[in-house]
Amino acid sequence: MKIRRRNKLLVESPASATSDIAFILIIFFLVCASVQPEDGQKQSLPKSEDQPDKKQQSENPEVAISRTSIILNGNPLKPQQFRTEIKKVLAQKKREVDKVVVVKSKPDTPYEIWIETAGYIKEAGGIITLQLEEQQTEMVN
Amino acid sequence: MAMGDIAFLLLIFFVILARVQDDSHIIWEPAKLHNLEQSKNAKASVAIDADNKLYLNGKPIGVTNLAGEISEILGEAPAGKRTVFLKVHKHATATYFEPVIEAISEAGGDLMHVLEDARMK
Repeated sequence: MKIRRRNKLLVESPASATSDIAFILIIFFLVCASVQPEDGQKQSLPKSEDQPDKKQQSENPEVAISRTSIILNGNPLKPQQFRTEIKKVLAQKKREVDKVVVVKSKPDTPYEIWIETAGYIKEAGGIITLQLEEQQTEMVN
Repeated sequence: MAMGDIAFLLLIFFVILARVQDDSHIIWEPAKLHNLEQSKNAKASVAIDADNKLYLNGKPIGVTNLAGEISEILGEAPAGKRTVFLKVHKHATATYFEPVIEAISEAGGDLMHVLEDARMK
């Protein structure tokens, strides 16, 4: 009599590949996270070595920013008013060189107010140039 | 053989983690603005934290050395490939960030302010 053997083979899936897959997935998500782009606003700056022509500078709009106010060509404005006015002023300028806006900030001007104002100037097509306060060293005998 | 594969993968894992411009330890809050642009690659990252301390690529630096260091990093990179990220804490004052902006301009960098979208809550 022929005895039939039932050969039951236990076939397990290879578990060693699971750790490799886990590592590759971790690296995949790390690479995705590391190339996340930054959100922001670009700013083109005229080179500081260029000596501005004083006569030309007097024709450029001047903005003075402080903690409490934004002053455009000597007129204090609220932020939304400034947004409208700077567009009107720059719309009248035909040449690129005339669209340079001289920005002077008080030392205590917070960055969030400065960047908001800079955003309005850029929105209006202006190019920002900074006018920094001069530092003078005096020798005392 | 498996141990070799695991060691290789761990090596890649830590190489990717160790980014050159690691400024994740800097405590700062971005200012908010609308209509932001996106930029992935920057040659350098300058940050001013909540205590008005200045960092270049995650390392503390003085403002007098900033232009020189950025020039060195940017090297002879062509225009368009000279992006410098500027991350300024929203309450930092002009005394601190204006000289930094001037330094980046002096070094010939393409400045990009890193901000948060005002629409996001």
